[in-house]
Amino acid sequence: MDFKDYYAVLGVSESATPEEIKKAYRKLARKYHPDVSKEADADTKFKDVGEAYEVLKDPEKRAEYDQLRKYGARGDGSFEPPPGWQSGAGFGGGGYTGADSSNFSDFFEEIFGGGRRAGGFGGGGFGGSRQSMRRRGEDVHARLALFLEEAYHGCEKQVQYTVQEVGDHGRVISRPKNLKVKIPAGMRDGQHIRLKGQGSPGIGGGENGDLLIEVELAPHPQFSVDGRDLLITVPVAPWEAALGASVTVPTVGGKVSLKVPKGSSSGRKLRLKGKGLPGKEPGDQIVVLQVVMPESHSEEAEKLYKQLAEAEEHFDPRSKLDV
Amino acid sequence: MSRKETIVTVELDDPAGTFTLREICERGECHAEFVIKLVSHGVISPIEDSPNALDWTFDLPNLARLQRARRLQRDLEINLPGLAMSLDLLDEVRDMRREVDRLNRLLDQFITD
Repeated sequence: MDFKDYYAVLGVSESATPEEIKKAYRKLARKYHPDVSKEADADTKFKDVGEAYEVLKDPEKRAEYDQLRKYGARGDGSFEPPPGWQSGAGFGGGGYTGADSSNFSDFFEEIFGGGRRAGGFGGGGFGGSRQSMRRRGEDVHARLALFLEEAYHGCEKQVQYTVQEVGDHGRVISRPKNLKVKIPAGMRDGQHIRLKGQGSPGIGGGENGDLLIEVELAPHPQFSVDGRDLLITVPVAPWEAALGASVTVPTVGGKVSLKVPKGSSSGRKLRLKGKGLPGKEPGDQIVVLQVVMPESHSEEAEKLYKQLAEAEEHFDPRSKLDV
Repeated sequence: MSRKETIVTVELDDPAGTFTLREICERGECHAEFVIKLVSHGVISPIEDSPNALDWTFDLPNLARLQRARRLQRDLEINLPGLAMSLDLLDEVRDMRREVDRLNRLLDQFITD
């Protein structure tokens, strides 16, 4: 078991006042709140900060912790409480953090154990009754990253998450769950999926909670996504843009032939109807043309460009720049 | 970690996946009064507005938003107007991040060395 330096977690000194501790907690809680932060380990950091505050905000727990801190960690950072250690403070729950100790570390449990009771499931209810033993399990939220191809064709994905359940002796424990989920074709970025009954188990015969998944589409090297529409930039040669051409372009569903209209400029958008993400109303694929030049020209080509410049001498591409 | 794997077929948030006021209160672990206040602040919206709150039904994104509001209120001690503004700003930040990512990728395709 590793020693937890709660002062370091909150970034305060050992002599910090309760006000300083509260201020540090509030700042870090805002920074690492999983609904606010984009950091990958925000959830863990938020739990660490909550655990540190749970101990340091309480004078009795803080005094016990300070005593243990002096007793100290071993050289390798591991920790064992002194023989016969028993907390007088214990875990009371509640307070500002609304602390659910089931998420706290083994270190916390070892020092202030006796917590993690089913009573940790707080909350009201429709009529405000919170005395009933029959209780629906919590809904669990998770995010699922999909590649565009997976969202387009549908796929089977593994989802790992944690549910809270009441174990032996009425203790609330966290249990990892692992599901294989069939994702249907045509999922959009930000779309929610509900897996009925796959959240935390109900209490006293109550219904299980659901697993609520929010889909996130991973960036694609060629396509960008706008709702159900897919955008792709397609390079064309100057003569294809000038004379018109039939070019092959990729779609997520396979290659298609696209007619580039005569006289197209860079940035012109062409719509491939129904080639976006599938659905009841499938999206479109928007092709953005980009006129590109060859890296070098032959003498013959340069001669032809000179002839072109003479033939089009009245064309001023910078006319709008007022130069 | 459990080795047992189950294949679950996903239920999409189509119109059939709706929640009554009672259901959304139970899932959000809150009183009906709190939901009514969230609706009046425009934080969440019933599918069809009705003067009688008991007639309201909510879709899955609104349930997820209510649960997010509850977590923020519980963890950060935010009052209702603050909650409404925080959620709007968080949504805006998320949308803008997505848009910036999308435009950056588009820009990368146009800019050549």
